[in-house]
Amino acid sequence: MKRHLTVASLLAGAALLASVGASAAAGKYTIGISNTVQGNGWREEMICAMKAQALASGEVAKLNIAHRNTDAAGQLEDIRNLISAKVDAIVVNPADPAGIKAGLEEATKAGIVVVAVDQAVTEPSAYIISNNQEQYAYLGAKWLFQQMGGKGEVLYMRGAAGASADSDRDKGFKKALAEFPDVKVAQEVFTGWQQDQAKQQILSFLATGTPINGIWTSGIDNVIVDALVEQQAPMVPVVGADNAGFVGQLSSVKGLVGAAVTNPGSIGGAGVTLALQILDGKKPAQQTVLVEPQLWENATDEGKAKLKGVVDPSLSPEWPVSISIPDWTTYTKDQIIACKGPGE
Amino acid sequence: MSRFLRNQGWVAGLFALLIFVFVVTKLIQPGYGSGDFGSLARAVLPYAFAVAAQTVVVIAGGIDLSVAAMMALTSVTAASMMNGASEEYALFVVPFVLAMGLVLGALNGVLIVVTRVPDIVVTLAMLFVLQGAALLVLGAPGGAAAEWLKASVVGTAPIPSLPDWADAWVPKALVLLVICLCIVWIPLRRSRLGLSIYAIGSDELAAFRSGVPVARTRIVAYALSGLFAAMGGLSLTISTGIGAPIPGPYLLASVAAVVLGGVALGGGKGGLLGPIIAVFVLRLVRTDLTLLAIDPNVTAIIEGAIMVAVVMFGAFITIRGRPVGATP
Amino acid sequence: MTTNPLPQSPLLDATGVAKNYGAVAALRNASLSVLPGEVHALMGANGAGKSTLVKILTGAIKADAGRILIRGQQLDVRSPAAARRAGLLPVYQEPSLIPDLDVLSNLRLTGTPVEPFRAWVRELGIPDLDIRETARHIPLAILRVLDLARALAVEPDVLLLDEMTAALPANLAEKVLAVVRRQGEAGRSVIFISHRFVEISALCDRATVLRDGATVGVVDIEPGIEERIVEMMLGTRIEKTRVAARAANEAAVAGGGRPRLSVRNLQLGTKLNDVSFDLANGEVAGVFALEGQGQDELFAALAGSIRPTGGSIDVDGAPVKFSHPSDAIQAGIAYVPGDRAEALAMQRSVRENIALPFSAAARKWGPIRMRREQVVVSSAIGRLQIDTRAQGEVQRLSGGNQQKVTIARWIAANARTILCFDATRGIDVGTKQEIYKLLRELAGQGKSVLFYTSEMEEVQRVCDRVIVIFGGRVVDTFPVEEADEAALMRAAYGLPRGARADVGILAEVKPGSSAEAAS
Repeated sequence: MKRHLTVASLLAGAALLASVGASAAAGKYTIGISNTVQGNGWREEMICAMKAQALASGEVAKLNIAHRNTDAAGQLEDIRNLISAKVDAIVVNPADPAGIKAGLEEATKAGIVVVAVDQAVTEPSAYIISNNQEQYAYLGAKWLFQQMGGKGEVLYMRGAAGASADSDRDKGFKKALAEFPDVKVAQEVFTGWQQDQAKQQILSFLATGTPINGIWTSGIDNVIVDALVEQQAPMVPVVGADNAGFVGQLSSVKGLVGAAVTNPGSIGGAGVTLALQILDGKKPAQQTVLVEPQLWENATDEGKAKLKGVVDPSLSPEWPVSISIPDWTTYTKDQIIACKGPGE
Repeated sequence: MSRFLRNQGWVAGLFALLIFVFVVTKLIQPGYGSGDFGSLARAVLPYAFAVAAQTVVVIAGGIDLSVAAMMALTSVTAASMMNGASEEYALFVVPFVLAMGLVLGALNGVLIVVTRVPDIVVTLAMLFVLQGAALLVLGAPGGAAAEWLKASVVGTAPIPSLPDWADAWVPKALVLLVICLCIVWIPLRRSRLGLSIYAIGSDELAAFRSGVPVARTRIVAYALSGLFAAMGGLSLTISTGIGAPIPGPYLLASVAAVVLGGVALGGGKGGLLGPIIAVFVLRLVRTDLTLLAIDPNVTAIIEGAIMVAVVMFGAFITIRGRPVGATP
Repeated sequence: MTTNPLPQSPLLDATGVAKNYGAVAALRNASLSVLPGEVHALMGANGAGKSTLVKILTGAIKADAGRILIRGQQLDVRSPAAARRAGLLPVYQEPSLIPDLDVLSNLRLTGTPVEPFRAWVRELGIPDLDIRETARHIPLAILRVLDLARALAVEPDVLLLDEMTAALPANLAEKVLAVVRRQGEAGRSVIFISHRFVEISALCDRATVLRDGATVGVVDIEPGIEERIVEMMLGTRIEKTRVAARAANEAAVAGGGRPRLSVRNLQLGTKLNDVSFDLANGEVAGVFALEGQGQDELFAALAGSIRPTGGSIDVDGAPVKFSHPSDAIQAGIAYVPGDRAEALAMQRSVRENIALPFSAAARKWGPIRMRREQVVVSSAIGRLQIDTRAQGEVQRLSGGNQQKVTIARWIAANARTILCFDATRGIDVGTKQEIYKLLRELAGQGKSVLFYTSEMEEVQRVCDRVIVIFGGRVVDTFPVEEADEAALMRAAYGLPRGARADVGILAEVKPGSSAEAAS
C-alpha cells in the first residue's frame, strides 16, 4: 500500500518534469554541449560563451548541457545521452582526444554535427575549433627565456598531470627550452589548475630560498604574483594566461615584469558558431580551425599600451579577458556575463 | 512470503523503481529505444564493476577507497600493454591485468590485517600509491585497446532463440557484465568462503567463534574487490580505447550505489543484485536529466536528493516492517 | 550425582595454565580434569579466571604456560576451528550465530549436519523452527538453544556450556538440563559453568573451583556441598571481616519521611524479573550481584537510558517514566558508570567536563555564564581534592581523579541521588578511600546513593544496607552489620539467609522471610 502511494507521487513528479522539458521555447536547432570540468573559471567562461552565442545567434531553440566533473567514459555516457535526446549538433570539450572517439562516431552516424572545442579529437568526422595549446606554451616560454637573458633557473608550474592540454603545453615548453640550452628547470610542479594548491606550492618553494630567474605558469597566475608580493620575494618575470586578475596585476603591481598569453574561453562561443554554420550548410574548408594565441607583455611601451586596452576589472579574476573572438562570436559583454542561454 | 519481502524486498523495490524511471524516460523521450538502452548498458559497465568491488568489501565489514585508483591503474596498464601490440596479445593482457587487480587487492587486505591500521586509512594510502603508479605507467591519457575487445561491448548479442525485436534489447555490454559478475559471484555465494565473508561483516567475534579464519577471509574479500576493480579498469579501456591515469568519479559513485542497493555500510547485509540495479537507476536518472536539459549545476543536487529520498524511504519501510513482540 | 569409582583416564586434562595481560595475571595456575561421561561444573567468584580458562580451552586466546591434553595427547589449540576439530565445542553466553545469516547458512558455515540439528532443536523444545529465518530476527532465548543444538549436532567429546540457562525461560531451561544430563549418560563430557547451585546439584558430578586465577579444589557434588564451595571460592577471607565502624556523624540519617526512590516489581525482558526496594534520603544502599544478574539493566532503567517493561519507579512518592537520561537528571538522579570513558569527554578539560551537565541542557543553549560556571566548578574541584595539575585534558588524569571528576560534576549539578555503578573499578586504594568518604558525606547531607559493586569489602565500607540480586530478582536485603562475606556470597548465589542446607528450593525464597543464618 505504502509503495503504491509513493509510486503515484513519483509519477506525478515525473509528469511535472516532463512538462517542463516540453515547454522549451520554439526554435530551429537544439544543441548539445558536453564538458567534463566543473567549477573552473576558464571552463565556466567557455560554457557562458556557448550560452551567450546560442542566444545571440537567434537560431538555437534549446541547449542541452551535460556539464560535470567526469572522465572520458563519463563523457561517452553524456554524448550518448545527447544522441538519445536527438540534438542537432554537439559541441564538446573533450576529456581526451582519443577516448571519446566511439561516441563521436555514433553521433555523426546519427546525423549529428560534432564540433570539438579547445582540444583536438581523433574522430575524423568531427570538426575542431581549438586554441593551439602547444603554441600557447611555446610563445610564453620563449618570451620568458628571452627576458631571463637566455640563462638561469625557471620554476615550471604545470597544469593537471595526465590532462591532454597539459601534455600539449609541455611539448611547447620543452620546444622553447631546447632553444635555450642555458635555461634550467629549478623545479617542476603540477598545480592541478587549482588556485589554492598553486599558492601552497609557491609558498613552500619560496620558503626553501632557492634562487630562480623566472616563473612559467599554466594559467594559475595571479596567486603566484600575490605570493611574491606577500613574501616580499625578489620579483622575477612571470608568464601566465590572460586571466582578468593577472592582466590587472601586469599593469598595477610594481616591479612585475610579465606576459599574458591568450587562451580565450570564448572558444566555446566560436564552437557554437561553427556548428550553426555547418547546420546551415556552410562547411569550413578544413576540419580543424586553430585559434592562435597572442602574447601581451608589459616589458615594452608598445606592450603596455596593448595591455591597457584589455584590462577589465569588471570580470571575475579567474575569467580570461578575451571574452570574445573576432569573426567567431557576436554576443555582447553583458550577454556573456549574464550567462543565459536561449529559453532561460 | 513475508520473509521474501524482508530479505528481497529492497531489491524488488529497486527493480520497481528502475522500471518506473524507465517509463518516465519513455515519456520524456518517446523515441527512447533499444539503441539507447545499449548506450545505458555501456555507461553502466565501469560503474557496475566499481560497485561490485565496493560491495564485496562492504559486506565483509570494510570499505575500499582505492577502487577508482585501482581502476585507473589497471586501465592504463592494459592500454599501454595493448598499444601497438597484436590482437592476440590482448588474450594475454586481459588475464594479466585481472591477476594484477587480484594481487593488489590482496595487498590491501594483507596490510589491513597485518598492520591493524583501519581499512579506511590503508585504502586511502593505497589510493595515492595507485594513483601515482598509474601516472608512472602513462603520464597522459593514451594507449590503445584491441579491436576485438572494443567490439565486445558494441552492438547486441545474437541469441538465436530470441526474436529480433527482443534481441535488440540484449546489448553485448549487458551480457558481458552479467557473465563477468556471475562467474565470480554465484560460486562465491554458494561456498563456505562466501558465507565467511558475510559472517565477518555481520559479527566478527561470532564468526571467529564459529571457526571462520577472519584474517584470511578479509584478505580474500579485498582481493576479490581488486579483481572487480580490474574488470572495471578493463571496461574503461575497452569502452574508450585508451587508458586515463587520473581516476574517474567511481569511488563516491560506488559507495552511493552500495547504499542505494541495500547493502548495510556496517557489513553483513545485502547482495550484489541490489547495487547493480541501483547503478542502472542512477545512470538512467542522469540520462533523464540530460534529456530534460536541466541546468547542469542542479543535476548533482537532484541526483543526491533522489538517493537520500530512496534510502530514507527504504529505512522507513524496514522499520515499519519489523516484526513486533518477538518472544518465544 | 555419581562419583566415578574406577580411575579413568581423563578426556580433557589441563594443568598449570597461566595467562597474563600485561602485569595482571588473569590465570596463575589453573587446572581442570574432565572424565569421560561426566558433567563437570566450573565455579569461581567474579574475576577468578573462569572466562579466561574457557577462552584458552576453546582456542580464542593462547595460554602463556600450561599443558592441555585431550585424550592423552597434547594439543595446541590455536583457534576455535582447531578446538572444534579436537572435539571441544563451546556454547558461549552471547549467541554466536551470525546475525545476518539465516540458520541454514549458519549451519553450513560451521559444517554442521542439518538433520541432527533439527532433531536436537525439537528435542530441546522448539517444535516449529524455520531454518530459513535470519538469526537477527530470532529471540535471544531461542538463539541460545540453537547454539546448543548446533554444538550437539556434531557430537563433540567435550561440550562447554557457559551460563547456558541464564537467558532461558523455565520451560526451555528444563529441557536443556535434561538434554545435558543425558549427554553424560551417553558417555560424553560436559563442562558446565553456572552461578546456580540448583542446577549444579541436579546436574553435575564434580566441580572444579577457581580462586584468583588458580584451581583451589575439585569436589564431588553431594548434598550440602555448596557451603564448602562457597568457602573455597572465598578462601581465607571466610574469616568474618568486621564491618568498618562508621563515625556517629556519618551514620545514616535515614528513616522518617517517604523514600527518595521507590522501585516496585520492576521488570525488563528476561533480565529483570521482579525487583522492589526503597532508597531513603541520606542513605547509601549497596547492590551486590554476580555478573549479569540484571544489575546493569536495573541501573540503566533508573538512569533513564532504557525503559522497563513492567513495574514502577517513584521519585519522592510521585511515579515517573523516564524516556531519556535527561529526564532522570531532571529528577535529580545522576549516573556514574564504572567505565569513565562512558561519562567523560576525554579530550576536554576538567572544567568543561564538570560544567557539561548543568550547561548542556537545551534550554540553556545561550551564552555560558563563565563566572558562575567558574565558581561552581572550583568549589567542586576543591571539595573533591582533584589533582588538577593535568586539567587541560581529562584523559591525562589518573583513573581515580577521572572518577572524581565524574562525581564532581553531579555535585556541581546538585544531583540529589547518585547511582554509582562499580564506580571504583580499577582505582588505587587511596583514591577509593576518598570516594568512600565523599559518598558518606553526601549521605550525611541528606542525599542518597545507590552503590553497585562487585567487591564485597566495599559494601561494608560504604553502605548502610545491601540489596542482593540474583537472576533478576532481589534475593535478600540485609543491614550492613550482617553483611559479612559469606552471607553476601551465599546470597549472591541465590542462597538467602537460613536456606543453607536446603539445596533445590532456593529460587522461590522471598527476601526477609527467614531468620539470620544459624552459624
